[in-house]
Amino acid sequence: MNIELRVNEQDFRLVVEPDERLLDVLRERLGLIGTKEGCGEGECGACTILMDGKAVNSCLVLAAQAVGHELMTIEGVGDRLHPHPLQKSFVELGAVQCGFCTPGMILSAKALLDRNLQPSEEEIKEAMSGNLCRCTGYDKIVKAVQRAAEEVAR
Amino acid sequence: MSEAVVGTRIEREDGWGKVMGETHFPADVNRPGELYGAVLRSPHAHAHIRSVNVRAAAALPGVAGVFTAENVPHNAHGVLFRDQQVLVSERVRMVGDPIAAVVAETEKVARDAIARIEVDYQILPGLFDPEEAMKPDAPALHPDSHGSSNILYHLPIRRGDVQAGWAKADVVVEQEYRTQMLDHAFLQPEAVVAYVDERGHLVVKVATQYAHYDRGEIAHALGLKYSQVRVKTMAVGGAFGGREDISLQIIAGLMAWKTGKPVKMENTRTESFLSHSKRHPMRLYYKTGATREGKLVALEAKIIGDAGAYSSWSPNVLRKAAVHATGPYEIPNVQIDSYAVLTNNPYTGAMRAFGAAQPVLAYESQMDLLAEALGLSPLEMRLRNIFQVGSVTATGQMLTSSVGMTKCLQALTPYLATKGDAS
Ligand code: FES
Ligand code: FES
Repeated sequence: MNIELRVNEQDFRLVVEPDERLLDVLRERLGLIGTKEGCGEGECGACTILMDGKAVNSCLVLAAQAVGHELMTIEGVGDRLHPHPLQKSFVELGAVQCGFCTPGMILSAKALLDRNLQPSEEEIKEAMSGNLCRCTGYDKIVKAVQRAAEEVAR
Repeated sequence: MSEAVVGTRIEREDGWGKVMGETHFPADVNRPGELYGAVLRSPHAHAHIRSVNVRAAAALPGVAGVFTAENVPHNAHGVLFRDQQVLVSERVRMVGDPIAAVVAETEKVARDAIARIEVDYQILPGLFDPEEAMKPDAPALHPDSHGSSNILYHLPIRRGDVQAGWAKADVVVEQEYRTQMLDHAFLQPEAVVAYVDERGHLVVKVATQYAHYDRGEIAHALGLKYSQVRVKTMAVGGAFGGREDISLQIIAGLMAWKTGKPVKMENTRTESFLSHSKRHPMRLYYKTGATREGKLVALEAKIIGDAGAYSSWSPNVLRKAAVHATGPYEIPNVQIDSYAVLTNNPYTGAMRAFGAAQPVLAYESQMDLLAEALGLSPLEMRLRNIFQVGSVTATGQMLTSSVGMTKCLQALTPYLATKGDAS
């Protein structure tokens, strides 16, 4: 089927299968490999992207369901010259280890900061509860989100 | 190295690529014209394979090749012993053992083809309890590689004279402890891309902890020279010991070599759980004696580790468990016996602490029970026995420097006084 997707402020016309997952379209057809697959069943959050500013698991969304929505992947969050405060704080505070959870973590955190600039620790943990990390123990991730929130608020 | 780094925060140089989503894990690599591989795994823990019929799979449009044991030139691999088959020929020893592999134009076709392979299994009773498997009359799981006994490894450690130790003991605590099997559950499921490069070398891109070993095992299994195989380590999405053994490297390499096409393989989370090593569940039988003054005088410990279906690192892991069995405490009379036992459970191997984690449950619980019996505080019980410079361990090692345990416990004393309330 023919669809149009809007990803990272760019429009794409694509031919996809009706049962194709958004995750696969992003990774395989658009080459946006920053979105990861850790489980394929909505458990791990490695495939998190933003859909109209809300964090969703792209492994649970069909590409066709994303038509008409504004999508953002990690590639649209920032770049090396203009990193998002979350990208900076994750590196600076050691919230990145293997990095497989990192894109999803940053997008979940971005969804939170875009609507709440003064999240409490509890609110951060709640917002990130769908993202698993097996390396860091989460503590530094929470601190990185707090640091980024301060920077964005400034 | 500059000492100035100690105590400072160093930015990981790969951090920026990771926060930008640029970093390539193996699943993020694609080669033009690549095929996709999938593996059929056994649903049975112990079975004899009577036959494997791949005709329907091979006939499926889009299938480029079907592989079974007979297509593997040297069908064996393993970190310590080559007791694991690339594709099982006759005897399944655990759930998840690989039986056949398919390479096809798409993942969907490869997985459809896998479902069409017919395996005729003669299901055998399984050995799931390591203490049952240790018995002399238990059926041997690896007669060819490991002989008539399932006891893969036994390390006895003896120091002093335990009988003399018991004679001096005013209190004796005897307990059995058990730890469970754990999966590393690294976040990135195993994935591999294998292809033949412009020089005719087999290149295998993989997230591995052990690239030089992978290279040797791939070369050996395929009958290639070491110099014909290159292993490139991509970003590793967590490992924790679970990527020290071969996963898909040889199967992907074999299919790329035989078809001449790039081959990509990715485990689902389920396949990942079914196929890689686990942490050893251990049974720890501890008997510890101390004097009225709170001095340890004797320890008898029997540690039984479930090696599962293949040896992997089991001897080394159970060696480490044995060496750490006293904990950081000086005990003059010691008798430790540590065993690794083959069963039909998932195979166990390296996982963080590599066998040193499990005995902690036993020796620290024993210290608490002894302290209680003697009316001492748990802290005091430890201070009276902890290693010092000059202590001799159960293996006869004299500790000559850098033994900071007393200082460490003293630094913790104010915190312990709050009964764990850090605020
Ligand atoms: S891959 Fe989507 S939640 Fe794990
Ligand atoms: S950094 Fe490895 S899973 Fe989070």
